[in-house]
Amino acid sequence: MDRRHFIRKAGLAAAGAFAAPYLLPGGRLFASSGLRKVNHVVFLLFAGGVRNLESVQFNDGNLMPNMLSGGGTISPDILPAIDFLPPGPLSQPLQNYGTLFRQFRYKEGPTGHYNGHTVAVTGQYVSTDLNIREAPCNPTVFEYYRKHNSPQQTALNSWWVANTLGPYPALNYSSDPGYGPAYGANFISPNFLISQDGFDTLGDPSSFSTAEAAAIRNIRKFANGVFNKSYTDSGQGIVNTESEAQQLQQFISDLYGKAQSGQYINPWGVGTSMNSDMYNVMFAEEIIQQFKPELLVVNMQDVDIGHFDFSQYANNLRKADWAAAHLWSIIQSTPGMANDTVLVIAPEHGRNFSPNTSVDAYGRLALDHTAPTDGTSGDQMAREIFCLIVGPPTVVKQGFVVNSVEGESTEIVPVIANMLGFDNNIPGSAGLKSYNQCDLAQAFY
Amino acid sequence: MKAFRIINFFTPLLLVLMLASCEKEKDYIYEVNPVNVQQGGSTKNNAKSTVEFVTIAWADLFGTQIPQQELVKLNTVYSAFGDKKLIEDRILLNLLNKPGIQVPAATNVNGDTLKFIQNTYKKLYNRSPDAFEQYYMKEQIRLNTAISATVIWYALMSADEYRYY
Repeated sequence: MDRRHFIRKAGLAAAGAFAAPYLLPGGRLFASSGLRKVNHVVFLLFAGGVRNLESVQFNDGNLMPNMLSGGGTISPDILPAIDFLPPGPLSQPLQNYGTLFRQFRYKEGPTGHYNGHTVAVTGQYVSTDLNIREAPCNPTVFEYYRKHNSPQQTALNSWWVANTLGPYPALNYSSDPGYGPAYGANFISPNFLISQDGFDTLGDPSSFSTAEAAAIRNIRKFANGVFNKSYTDSGQGIVNTESEAQQLQQFISDLYGKAQSGQYINPWGVGTSMNSDMYNVMFAEEIIQQFKPELLVVNMQDVDIGHFDFSQYANNLRKADWAAAHLWSIIQSTPGMANDTVLVIAPEHGRNFSPNTSVDAYGRLALDHTAPTDGTSGDQMAREIFCLIVGPPTVVKQGFVVNSVEGESTEIVPVIANMLGFDNNIPGSAGLKSYNQCDLAQAFY
Repeated sequence: MKAFRIINFFTPLLLVLMLASCEKEKDYIYEVNPVNVQQGGSTKNNAKSTVEFVTIAWADLFGTQIPQQELVKLNTVYSAFGDKKLIEDRILLNLLNKPGIQVPAATNVNGDTLKFIQNTYKKLYNRSPDAFEQYYMKEQIRLNTAISATVIWYALMSADEYRYY
């Protein structure tokens, strides 16, 4: 081989090596141009309306000791309302594993729960109260992920876990004609699905022999071939492939099995303190352990009792903090997600500075969240929130705190897209904030 | 004179013919035999809503209206999972396992397989099976011992046409 041939072959080999997809240790195949920072993102919508005064500003002591450092003891007047919780599952507060933005903002639009959730998962503010019976008009982060990530991933990799029903099931995909259910996430509201009513309805399915199952498939295939429309034409939501649907059916059966065998009675050793936020996070952990999703969004809402009972708001804030720490401990103990996951935690909005007239058993006044939509007049405290981003030390700055007013709710979607390496594939016409313009980018190396 | 005789001969004949031709015409009414006009599968364009799907499936399987309490339960559970096809499938499988369902015991009616197929299509799809469907289903039942009435009912209820009306 002469020198010219050697150089040509070496060049081709090098080019091939760069162009060819890599098979990662986790088994994931993706093009080397993906530029992912991590392969998994979990977004914990610390929702229900959390005011900075009670969270990062420690107005009543540190109600979030598993997430935040410092702050002192809980105010003695509300202490009797605080349920017992054992020590958290982490050796140090979560903020030490990442970057805390203490003055994050929900800058525009009505400070309602569904608005806040919608902004968080679409990356776009909405100026009016949303119709709670409709899916968002802007694409969700799930749709961006499933459409623009390369290679495209199925809904098994993308989950939306909500602790209540109402409008929230609608957030797994938008009405945008370029996206929609074909790119939506699997949605689950486990507190309703894995319940007594759920078991009565779904827990005892007929089973068929292999031969019967084959006959069913044949007849169904024949019937579908005769009919001129498919299920997806009905616009009833996302549809998993048949093999994935089987996995999901088995997953649901397993959850019922665990419920029946008592595994969900005091699963975290917190006794009667376990509230629906904690259960919702616990079921999100089941999804994490079973499917190792690349993108999972899970919310909490129990702090919204703050409309009527400030002390229980503080009590539930403390439980939400405990649940967040537990979530991170499970992520870090799940092979395939440990050290390869970024966790983003942010409330959807805050609460007013001025209380309403409801007084709780401890003499505290309750709090609504009704910031005027002009963004400047009156009580705007419901726009003041925090954002905590934790992740591997090679990706996320550890123990870093941003104390100034920086970052806003619409930055979460572009940050998730950047973490998973598909932000540059989202068309500019989508109107998302560019990652490079996001203050949250300070959290990453 | 000869011409006059001819006229005299033909005039009565013409009169007879004219009278005969004026006989009142019979009114024929063309009708069709009474048939049950049913919607073919190809014209079903409307997807059933959640409530419609659940109430119709219950009525088909139990022959009764769904109790309000069951409807509330099913609606809640239905809302709690995003893949509606999967949940519908699971709801059907559970309903099929409940006591009191009225799925026929055999794939024939008094030995008549075709009658079973026709009854099943009318019950579940609100139409008669066409000749091809009758032939296919009859052959499946004849050749496959694994096929029970429940298998056929579940297969047809979980197929796309059952989702539409």
